[in-house]
Amino acid sequence: MYRASAAPGAGAPPAPPAPPAAYRRAQAALATEWIKLRSLRSMLLAPLLGAVASVGVADSAVRANATGWARLDAVQQARFDPLAVNFNFVIIGVLLFGVLGALVATNEYGSGLIRTTLAATPQRGLVLAAKAVLAGLAAFALAVVITFAAFFTGQAVLSGAHAPHVSLGDHHVLLHLLGNVCYLTAACLIGLFTGVLVRSAAAAIIGMFGLLLVLPVLADRVTPDAVTRATVPYLPFNLGDEMLHHHTGLSPGVAVAGLAAWVLVLAAAAAFSLRVRDA
Amino acid sequence: MSAQAGTVPRGGSLLYSRLRATARSEWIKFRSVRSGPVALGLTALTVMLGAWLLGTSNRGSYLAASPAGQAAFDPVFTVLQGIELAQLFVGALGVITVTGEYASGLIRATFAATPQRAQVLAMKALVFTAVVWACCTAMSFAGFFLGQSALSPAKHAGLGDPGVLAAVLGGGLYLTFVGLLGMFTGVLVRRTPGALAALFGLLLVLPLVFHQIPGKITMNLREYLPDAGQQAYTLAHSGAYLLGPWQGLGVLTAYVAVAAVAAVALILRRDA
Repeated sequence: MYRASAAPGAGAPPAPPAPPAAYRRAQAALATEWIKLRSLRSMLLAPLLGAVASVGVADSAVRANATGWARLDAVQQARFDPLAVNFNFVIIGVLLFGVLGALVATNEYGSGLIRTTLAATPQRGLVLAAKAVLAGLAAFALAVVITFAAFFTGQAVLSGAHAPHVSLGDHHVLLHLLGNVCYLTAACLIGLFTGVLVRSAAAAIIGMFGLLLVLPVLADRVTPDAVTRATVPYLPFNLGDEMLHHHTGLSPGVAVAGLAAWVLVLAAAAAFSLRVRDA
Repeated sequence: MSAQAGTVPRGGSLLYSRLRATARSEWIKFRSVRSGPVALGLTALTVMLGAWLLGTSNRGSYLAASPAGQAAFDPVFTVLQGIELAQLFVGALGVITVTGEYASGLIRATFAATPQRAQVLAMKALVFTAVVWACCTAMSFAGFFLGQSALSPAKHAGLGDPGVLAAVLGGGLYLTFVGLLGMFTGVLVRRTPGALAALFGLLLVLPLVFHQIPGKITMNLREYLPDAGQQAYTLAHSGAYLLGPWQGLGVLTAYVAVAAVAAVALILRRDA
């Protein structure tokens, strides 16, 4: 129709529409990724399980610990760390956040939606950045809720049983809690970037369970030597542990930097792989 | 061979040839997906590399340990602990064997070809068990020999020592049962992520939860979780568990049996 109405030799064809401004493109990418993120069923299930583990089950463990406190001997009482007792279950929360991040990425590869996504937004780095920003923000918000809910209920149980407990104003407690929030958020991002790298849900889930659950157990049983002393403290679970308890010998600043390095290196690898590989 | 066109075998021979044909098609499906060799290769790598690393790392610490520590040292379990990581791969292989078929829609063709669904599942489990058991037992032996040679100047075990052969065989059996548990979980859940989360939750997270909650009840129940099967490749049974190696493996077998019964019940009732 258009071609017929244009008179031959009427002049140059009309210029193609100007490409959208960068901020509009980013806005659109964020809007799509948000729809995909909130319609993911695991987005509801994983934080729910995380809350059950970190608040519900943890509180029953705290209760058992608190009632047993009076029967501990002096040495054990001196070693009793109210924050550590409270956050024994963080390993499960971290696992769920990691798996959630992995599913955010692999779900799209599983359904083939990634091809539509990349056709609509050929700026692949932008797609990954939008995904990471939204998943990171969602994980951060959920981690804040779970961490502080676990803290307040756990410490209430401890004080109810007349066992030692801490409050937010105490030395470094707030920093430890924020560190825990960072750790959970980092786990979600590690899972997301791993998912982009391996693309298969099975491989990404195995990776998360291996890295965050089995390796800590196995690393505990290996006798320390030069090699393990130089590597094991820098595995994510030890860096995260450092945020909460401060005992493995790294400074909290190194722990934060280490976790950030894990996230950034994986992000770079994921961005590179997304750019060069066919979807 | 297969029945001639137009002649229908009768009675017992019908069942036999159907099972045979089902087993053959399950074998084709099993060997033609990439996840099989990848998972078994990673399992082999983990078990053997783990055995060598654990052996070398424990050699020095054994020589430096106190006499009590040396007496409690278990040279078999120490080098076979890589199985704990390897079970992720074998379990996932069991899950994917089933959920992959649901994801691709092949399961509908399978059930159209063989409407006897329980027999399909039985043959699938049989083929899986045969392959995985053979591979994992071989890996367990390889890991054992590698680990013992790495431990060598320190306390190490030979196959002839009491209980050692059973423990090394137990390593292969444990992995096989984990794979079967994964397969039946896959039938129950039908989707890969959910089934993997359920399997690993049962195998890895639940023991952790029970471990963290102090008290008599959790301590007594702790032994009856699926990871009790790890007793099968433990030589020194002390303190922590009261169950022996075969009883521990029996606990895991009971979980597999319950999952199998549930899987058969659901596979017969549900639309594919």
